[in-house]
Amino acid sequence: MRIVKTIFGWFDRRYNLTPLIEKNVTKKRVPKTLGWAACFGGLSLLIFLVQVFTGVLLLMYYKPDPANAWDSVTFIKSNVSMGWLVQRIHTVSANLMIVMVLMHMARIAYYKVYRSPRELHWVSGVVLLMLTLILAFTGYLLPWTQLSYWGAKVGTEIPSAIPVIGEDIVRWVRRGEAISGETLGFFFALHIWIIPATISAFMAMHFAMIRRTGISRPL
Amino acid sequence: MSCDKTCEQHNGRRTFCRACIGAMTAASAAMVAYPVASFVTSQPSRIGEGKPLEIPLDQLVQGQARYEAYRGLQVIILATADGPHVFSASCPHLGCAVNWVSSDAQFHCPCHGAVFGSDGGVVSGPVNEPLKPIPFEVKDGKIIISV
Repeated sequence: MRIVKTIFGWFDRRYNLTPLIEKNVTKKRVPKTLGWAACFGGLSLLIFLVQVFTGVLLLMYYKPDPANAWDSVTFIKSNVSMGWLVQRIHTVSANLMIVMVLMHMARIAYYKVYRSPRELHWVSGVVLLMLTLILAFTGYLLPWTQLSYWGAKVGTEIPSAIPVIGEDIVRWVRRGEAISGETLGFFFALHIWIIPATISAFMAMHFAMIRRTGISRPL
Repeated sequence: MSCDKTCEQHNGRRTFCRACIGAMTAASAAMVAYPVASFVTSQPSRIGEGKPLEIPLDQLVQGQARYEAYRGLQVIILATADGPHVFSASCPHLGCAVNWVSSDAQFHCPCHGAVFGSDGGVVSGPVNEPLKPIPFEVKDGKIIISV
């Protein structure tokens, strides 16, 4: 305990951290009427961080090409020490993240928190929901199982219902006519970099807006 | 500040609670740190070591394929007139397991209809690579796969 205090004190004397921590964490005032349902947004963020962490771990062994993808996931699950745990946390948390985001949105909708001045909180939240779903969908293809293959096939067929440009969108998403190694590479890039980076940017906006307007007080 | 008996008891309780919280925090940290450390330090070169796969030659029927699991792979041992062949059962197109059709003496992939000959070569279908051959040796009347 003392050593922690000494180390923290060293930084605190130089960067004056205590007021910052008190203002934002330990002495931050929140409306008294907030219940446990106000946790879902924070839980979504927590699960996102878990996903980033376990995802980086999985990247150490995963190989994103059709010949090796399935083998490498099997390798992680059965040969890498604790790999089954990391892989399963990543899979289960993906589902949990969607559940948390939906619960969060349900609360916001029920209490009508989306009203002025918080309209853009809701808009950025809807974007975050979409990004979360894309993240889950692209991740589903990566183990390259029969389920993921057909899941991706059906999923990428959805835009074909759009008139005129639908077929082109499908071809663009699949990087060709059918689900192939090109699709896998594209989904991999989306899943590990493009979407997480975008989602982080939108999260930053979302949180900055909440800080600016304050947490909504029930009437 | 002087401390009477109640105050000392209070301090004892506080110390105890702090110790408990500290211990729980340490335990939680260890529960995360141990799996992560063991995942990160897992050595791929050691993985895949294991018993070689041994199949007695007299158990093979000519013209029939035998499927075996070997180190996370499905392998096919095919007995032909000119000796045994061993392939990975995974189709080089998208990784489905190919089926041996003994009436045609060909492998058929159930997913996209790729067809391979008994030597593993491509006959037709959306694939341009043959079935991956698995090295093996024949010793004491047994096929031994140890790669």
